[in-house]
Amino acid sequence: MSNVGELRDIVDWRNGRVASAIHFDEDLYRMEAERVFNRAWLVVGHEDMVRKPGDYITNYMGEVPVIVVRDAGGQIRVLVNKCSHRGNQVCLFDRGNVKGFTCSYHGWSFGLDGTLTGAPLEQMVYRGELDKVALGLEEVAHVANFHGLLFASFDPAAPALDEWLGEDVRWWLENFVLGGPVGGLEMLPGWHRYRSPGNWKLVSENFIGDSYHVYAATHISWLAMVQDFMGKGIRIPIITYPGTTDPPMYEGFAGSGRSAPLGMGMVVAGNDALYKRDLAEAQELGPEAVEWVEYRQRQLLEIAKDRELKPYSFMHGGLFPNLGLMGFFSPMIGRHFQSFHPRGPVEHECWQWTMVERDAPQAVKDLAVQRVYQGQHMAGVIAPDDVENFERMVEAGRARRNWDRPFHYGLQFGHEEEGPKGLPGNLGPTPSEGNQRRFYRFWLEMMERS
Amino acid sequence: MAVDWALKGELEDFLYREAHILDEHRLEDWLDLFTEDAEYLVPLREYLQGDVAPAGHPMIKDDKQMLTVRVRKDATGYSHVETPVSMTCHLISNVVADETDNPDEVNVRSAFTVRQARKLRDEAWWAGRRWDRLRRVDGGWKIARREVHLDATVLPRGIAIFF
Ligand code: FES
Ligand SMILES: [Fe+2]
Repeated sequence: MSNVGELRDIVDWRNGRVASAIHFDEDLYRMEAERVFNRAWLVVGHEDMVRKPGDYITNYMGEVPVIVVRDAGGQIRVLVNKCSHRGNQVCLFDRGNVKGFTCSYHGWSFGLDGTLTGAPLEQMVYRGELDKVALGLEEVAHVANFHGLLFASFDPAAPALDEWLGEDVRWWLENFVLGGPVGGLEMLPGWHRYRSPGNWKLVSENFIGDSYHVYAATHISWLAMVQDFMGKGIRIPIITYPGTTDPPMYEGFAGSGRSAPLGMGMVVAGNDALYKRDLAEAQELGPEAVEWVEYRQRQLLEIAKDRELKPYSFMHGGLFPNLGLMGFFSPMIGRHFQSFHPRGPVEHECWQWTMVERDAPQAVKDLAVQRVYQGQHMAGVIAPDDVENFERMVEAGRARRNWDRPFHYGLQFGHEEEGPKGLPGNLGPTPSEGNQRRFYRFWLEMMERS
Repeated sequence: MAVDWALKGELEDFLYREAHILDEHRLEDWLDLFTEDAEYLVPLREYLQGDVAPAGHPMIKDDKQMLTVRVRKDATGYSHVETPVSMTCHLISNVVADETDNPDEVNVRSAFTVRQARKLRDEAWWAGRRWDRLRRVDGGWKIARREVHLDATVLPRGIAIFF
């Protein structure tokens, strides 16, 4: 498959049919690297990860290794982790604090801002003719900080981040996902990473829109445990927050036209059942926790004071292309994001990082962190069952003759808008596959832009 | 100080029997090898450079109840990641055992290789070290604390087996 014209036929998002070739075809995978990953704004980290000058983390943009670093002047830069002399990788660690980067091959050294600061025996071997200004590490074209979340784009012609995200996405991210009005999020240092079978889009679409699998089949062993252990009065963090389906919930969506889609599954809005649940748990943790739960409720009501509908929390979500978001209904369960890095057509790497609400009392933070690791985590009781599905999908779909028959994205087809109004974007019925349809619509648009 | 040869042999025997229990998938029996106050930790491994704080949050930090949840989850019949059940082979070696301040407890360090096979050909190789605190209970030994240091910064797959 190398003809872009054929893409329209195989990515028939309008009818909820997408051929599985897009998860297997190597030609498409290469085209996607250019047209999606080299152009999109990608999340590369959070400013908390690089608090001080010299702090850096290494990460990937697509398959390109990058260094996210705070330079001596305090500016955050994203540098391609590849020596300008002859292409050696200059930084080998996951994160650290340094004064600069020195290449192991011939010893060229680079400052925190990527400038070439020295080459061994420079005067003698280059006779003063080395154009050091032109030979810094490649700096990624655009870097932007959105309320702490760091984005970067390789594309010199990329739209401004604000435009890429669009007004509605910005509203949800700032006020809701990143918890702006309640004091923001605090990152825990360290990536939790695992390699997994499956094209990166399989897991991205799962996060952006698939609420269906949670209660229908994939996670029922966890849900059975919740019931069983709660029934016996055994109290363990991941078990004691019921994975509830009780209150009315919605599928949230924001983003339109040229702006990147944000999807959120199981948005709790317009009722206070989970607020009360959090309050009840806070009462067990002590007055400080109660005060905090009440405080954040006032703040949440404040941001929605002119709106008919008040959002409280969300379960899962995704931001195009490859950022997964876990909100898990409650600040008592912590929050985590995951980057799904492509590793060839049929593999990806999941990089998870964890956060808690900054203003939460320590007792809540401790509990929330435990719940993150016991749940949607590579060593938890939830995520491994997702991964298993992707593994099975790869096995079932690898053979070329199986690429044509489309996957079915028919849930809530034509009913996406049948939800309450009053908040930015759209709230519709859940579970739905509307967000997957939108994900592939935007993906197709990027793939078709030459 | 190292324990004497007789005791070392006893502790090795305990670890080898435990490995067989795991590989025979007798997970309820395996839980019985832990004390009620047991801790089971799998720290995050990272490559750090310069003066930065370590992650401080392990991948797994279980008490016995959470370990029980993991075992019982697989027993529900709906635990897809362990359907079919992994075949594992735990190879334990490099065992050294030291006395502690507590006459009823010893520190035992060992190395392991675990091969995990599932379905037709999917597999993962795991290697690392265990730091165990074993306690003498009713004439036998139980695991009071286990720290599992996996040699991987990016795990080859999600963890759904025990080390
Ligand atoms: S490749 Fe880096 S100094 Fe030569
Ligand atoms: Fe899931």
